[in-house]
Amino acid sequence: MPWSKFDSTYSAPLTGRQISYCAALREGLDQAMGLDPRVFAIGLDADDKFGVFGSMSNLTHPERVLGTPISENAMTGVALGAALSGLRPVHVHLRVDFMLVAMDQIVNYVAKWEDMFDRQVRVPMVIRGIVGRGWGCGAQHSQTLHGWFAQIPGLKVVTPSTPYDAKGLLLASIADDSPVVFLEHRWLYKNMGDVPAEIYTLPLGKAHRLHQGDRLTVVANSLAAMHALTAIEQHGLDVDLIDPRTIKPLDIDTIVDSVRHTGRLLVVDYDFPFGGFASEVVAQVTERAFTSLRLPPQRLGFPDRGMPSSGVLERAYYQTPERLAAVMQRMIAGESVHADHQALVVPS
Amino acid sequence: MPRNKTIQRDAAMWLLRTMRTIRQTSERIAALYPTNVMETPVHLCIGQEAVAAGVCRHLTDADKLFLGHRTHGPALAKGLPLRSLMAELYGRTTGCSHGYGGSMHLLDLAHGLPGSSAIVGGSIALGVGAGLAAKMTAQNFLGVSWFGDAATNAGVFYESLNFATLQKLPVLFVCEDNGYSNVMPRAAHSAHDIQSLAAQFMPACTVDGTDVLAVYAAAQDAVDAIRTGGGPQFLHCRTKRWMKHQGHERCDLPENAVDVARDCPIHKLEAFLRDSGLASAAELVALARQIEGSIDDAIRFAESSPFPSPHLVEV
Ligand SMILES: Cc1ncc(C[n+]2csc(CCOP(=O)(O)OP(=O)(O)O)c2C)c(N)n1
Repeated sequence: MPWSKFDSTYSAPLTGRQISYCAALREGLDQAMGLDPRVFAIGLDADDKFGVFGSMSNLTHPERVLGTPISENAMTGVALGAALSGLRPVHVHLRVDFMLVAMDQIVNYVAKWEDMFDRQVRVPMVIRGIVGRGWGCGAQHSQTLHGWFAQIPGLKVVTPSTPYDAKGLLLASIADDSPVVFLEHRWLYKNMGDVPAEIYTLPLGKAHRLHQGDRLTVVANSLAAMHALTAIEQHGLDVDLIDPRTIKPLDIDTIVDSVRHTGRLLVVDYDFPFGGFASEVVAQVTERAFTSLRLPPQRLGFPDRGMPSSGVLERAYYQTPERLAAVMQRMIAGESVHADHQALVVPS
Repeated sequence: MPRNKTIQRDAAMWLLRTMRTIRQTSERIAALYPTNVMETPVHLCIGQEAVAAGVCRHLTDADKLFLGHRTHGPALAKGLPLRSLMAELYGRTTGCSHGYGGSMHLLDLAHGLPGSSAIVGGSIALGVGAGLAAKMTAQNFLGVSWFGDAATNAGVFYESLNFATLQKLPVLFVCEDNGYSNVMPRAAHSAHDIQSLAAQFMPACTVDGTDVLAVYAAAQDAVDAIRTGGGPQFLHCRTKRWMKHQGHERCDLPENAVDVARDCPIHKLEAFLRDSGLASAAELVALARQIEGSIDDAIRFAESSPFPSPHLVEV
């Protein structure tokens, strides 16, 4: 299978060919299906005219796109059974929240199958979940949950932030012989970026430095990475911004090296705070580079409660590039910032 | 059962050998279990052997069988070597899952056994996935989903039947109905009738699961219909669990008492073989003795096999 690798710095080459994150996902899937007849897509509304928000519109092989009933749990098992029978399914969910209905299959089955049989069988399967939010979507249509999936042995968790990453990581996930949870952020779908037309894969487990700096290490993935980058660029902050690209496997070496240099760590994690991805990064950095830390490391993300609906409450609930910039500035100034994860700012 | 009379000697002897292998192996496991040589929960299927033998006789190595927690019988009937099973129960590297699976997680790719699951219900969907793969790649194998009566209460059961029917997939659903979920009788756990529920989706047949020739005939019809492109089929086999849900002890529920002449599939098949002149009494005794020998061999193999050395697997 001619799955190619790309350049060793793994940053987007300037091709002059700008396409959207959504188009990059579509192109990656289309090329994977063209390359390998075992690849097929399955999911609720996978085959309808909306084309999964455009990420699956007009694919070259519609005969390998299968719509399903609202049976996320069994359909995950169906995809697993197909993977164990020689196919390479890509199971797509319009909202990551719908994956929760399939947690028995995802956690007890998909994640465990290789381990239970000492890897005599492989499970080449990708589960795509689209993260949404805003416009009053509320508590059941706004979750991200990457930290939660990453907690389970047997699942890789991939969270692309740029069009280049979206395509290269999707192709790598489909080429991988083990289960991958691939979480896309809907708010990134329209973002444009350089994307080569050819087939390429990016390694799973290799971080990408989005901005070079000396005074503070910021670790952020997916939409949070783009918000952090906006904050840094708009305010000219001296920040080393690392996008891990994949939550699991986690490129902790790159993060630790950066913290050894800057002495300060902020993790921006648009997910629930308790025991999550940000907590994991802080724990690992503390274990490995405690003496390099000149400030208590900090986590910024969602409050520890479900998402509200009213626009006023929503805007209070979520971080913004402005809020991130304010925290980064205080940390660069040497201030100890303590984020209150219980708080949800409610206007009086 | 007029079709009983038409069975070939070869097939009948295969059924007997398979059922006896399952029975005698299970009895041996029960005898050894209290000595703690097998550090794994065992769900024995003494009394239920006819379902495994009668169905698996019609399956090929290419057909993919997905099992739940009560694995030993159908796994052996599908072709899992006795040595691989015993070594897995003993937790050895030579076990079919290299000591990583135990009794409830058996694998034998060469014989169409891509794994089994201890979470009741979920594996029903995997057989459907195998059927989907067969259809998408235009191959001729079946997906087989094997489960107990209580699994029909899980949502995944309904979802799986629905999808298999919508897509007209080559899937055989086998409900091995022993009437109990642990100590809870069927009437207490299922408000539905299993066969009529399944029949809303696909052809469904209820058969006496203690009569191997009846299972054999019904499974033949179901498998033939699937192989000729007829879509999924449902086989509901009513059988009896002689043991407790788990472990080595006999079931002590008075209403589940065993009447050998009525309930024992081996007793009934042997009577048929003798009466019809297909096999002599001496032959039957010799077969039982031969199987005992292969169980001895499997246990010696397991006992002399190395334990896995704990190591972390690189991801
Ligand atoms: C989802 C789930 N719930 C509970 C259990 C515990 N449990 C294991 S077997 C079993 C009974 C299953 O009965 P049935 O499906 O009829 O199969 P049988 O044991 O009779 O072969 C139960 C409740 C489980 N393994 N999985």
